[in-house]
Amino acid sequence: MPVVQKLRCQVEKIVDYGEHVYTVELRPERPAPKFFPGQFLHLALDEYDPSGFWPESRVFSIASSPAQRDRLRISYSVRGRFTARMEKEMRQGVWVWVKLPYGEFVIPDQNDVVLFAGGTGITAFTSFLDGLTPQFRHRVYLAYGARRRNLLIYRDLVQEKSRAVPQFRVLFFIEEVPGGGPPPGGAESGEERIGSVSVESIWAELQNPGRAVYYLSGPPLMLKAISQDLGRRGVAPGAIQVDAWE
Amino acid sequence: MDPSIALRTQILERVRQYAREKFARRAFDPAKDLVHYAGRVFDEEELYSLVDASLDFFLTANRYVERFETEFASLLGLSNALLVNSGSSANLVALTSLTSPKLGDRQLKPGDEVITVAAAFPTTVAPIVQNRLVPVFVDVNLGDYTAIPERLEEAMGPRTRAILMAHTLGVPFDLDKAAGLAEKHGLWLVEDNCDALGSRYRDRLTGTFGHLATFSFYPAHHITMGEGGCVVTDDETLSRVARSVRDWGRDCYCTGGENNTCGKRYGQQFGTLPQGYDHKYVYSHIGYNLKVTDMQAAIGCAQLGKLESFTARRKANFQRLMDILKPYEDRLLLPRATPGSDPSWFGLVITVRENAGFGRNELTRFLEANRIETRNLFSGNLLRHPAFEGIPHRVVGDLKNTDRIMNQTFFIGVYPGIEQAHLEYMARVFARFMGGERVS
Repeated sequence: MPVVQKLRCQVEKIVDYGEHVYTVELRPERPAPKFFPGQFLHLALDEYDPSGFWPESRVFSIASSPAQRDRLRISYSVRGRFTARMEKEMRQGVWVWVKLPYGEFVIPDQNDVVLFAGGTGITAFTSFLDGLTPQFRHRVYLAYGARRRNLLIYRDLVQEKSRAVPQFRVLFFIEEVPGGGPPPGGAESGEERIGSVSVESIWAELQNPGRAVYYLSGPPLMLKAISQDLGRRGVAPGAIQVDAWE
Repeated sequence: MDPSIALRTQILERVRQYAREKFARRAFDPAKDLVHYAGRVFDEEELYSLVDASLDFFLTANRYVERFETEFASLLGLSNALLVNSGSSANLVALTSLTSPKLGDRQLKPGDEVITVAAAFPTTVAPIVQNRLVPVFVDVNLGDYTAIPERLEEAMGPRTRAILMAHTLGVPFDLDKAAGLAEKHGLWLVEDNCDALGSRYRDRLTGTFGHLATFSFYPAHHITMGEGGCVVTDDETLSRVARSVRDWGRDCYCTGGENNTCGKRYGQQFGTLPQGYDHKYVYSHIGYNLKVTDMQAAIGCAQLGKLESFTARRKANFQRLMDILKPYEDRLLLPRATPGSDPSWFGLVITVRENAGFGRNELTRFLEANRIETRNLFSGNLLRHPAFEGIPHRVVGDLKNTDRIMNQTFFIGVYPGIEQAHLEYMARVFARFMGGERVS
């Protein structure tokens, strides 16, 4: 784990996707420390006195690229008291504190990888996907779902990578379609399924499921369902990596 | 305004005044003053930082530790720097880390061999023994006092898994050879860089070649924080393991006063513990408590800013002393750097030649009687010390030079506290001895 640093950051931009889902761009007072795709940061809203204790904070995957150390990006959905405070208090120009980097949810280039992402859980993978190139030696599969199409907030990045990296395959999942009919979207809808992220939908695509490593990030119910399904299919527990926070 | 802020400003300003008064430089008096072999070199900045940290009264690792570790890792161009309470602890943490089950088939196991030297400080070798590994001793060169490169290859055996050696008194060992051997045979390479902060090998700082490297910040060393040391690595797994070994062996990596840094304090399963057992009290290694305080790191931060000037003064003092001693080369073997290296000298090592007409102790007694401090090259031959006589070990060839070092070698200081007046005095004392004067 690289040396953890505490940084004061100014909120530079907030993207509101509706339904209490946001992306926040932070500008640190000094360049952020080196971090790896999949690592996370702590964000505190209260003023931090470096001579004292770190205030209450919550963890968020670093969604931005490690190559860009003068900006940090996180995405969140309002789920509890702290994220409700974030929604209320974080405005452009406001100062917050972060400490980073933490975590070992890092994807090495050692096996085929299968990524399951639900909602803002995709942020555990965006940094990795951002840096994904055709030079990655293994296949990468992504099953990425959200309640509605507008909440597939990193769809553009994912599609861009899908076009640029031949060994990257993606399936989108939308739980609710207005009117209940098939999803609109023309040619790209071939990549889009209605329903929750599932193992079943991607399993047939995998060339060697027994030798892949599975990375899961999303709501607890999704994590539980996917983990159990993978277990039933004979995937060893050590091949299932779950990014689960309290 | 918070009155404590104004008070703090006043206190710190008075600390600066105090430091200027109390520790004002005064002229060297050769009739009374010692010429130390090493020592702390500081000014008001160190006292300011120390008191500043103490006024936080955080006590355990906090902002100064974060700052030091960040700046130190940056200096070396590495990801991870982990402060510990001494260089010896750094060696213990580094080597113990290599016994972690988290390293899979690269984990060192009891009976595995580690190549090292016996002309060493004891706590370079002690962690090998403490971890039930077997040290394999190779002899060293006279002059640079580092492992004879050819012997490293000869030391390889079926259970050899690591190399742990010091850059003796600032002189880098043959890193081409050691790193090449490590790569060829899949060995761990640990650089004990405790005596060599600022030394370079092929223009690159030592401490950046090994999987792990260690540093000491004891007052005799290149920079100080009183008691202190550091483990550095660019390997994320080793960093995590080293932190665990340092911090009681626990799996959790929260620093003092932090909770739930991992974000899953009650959500994990370890060993046969109940699901969700508090991560703060989960232990993945047999560990120690070897942490530093924020006050120590505060001193270190001030010292780190002076490293460049300290290094330059060490090199300049070394060169002046070499010029002083050059006329006596027929009787004294003077030190040399290893090929490709640029040492930040810890001291100036001298081996009394066999045909000198006097022995090492005769010379050091004379120097000490004239208030010039001397030190032996640490243990001389570690295997001849009571604690190490019976340890399981292997010797490659013989340790003839190591024994010579034990009998005939010592060093004198080149540290930044030595100034022109000291050097001139040292020149006069050496001249008197070489002219035949002896302690009666």
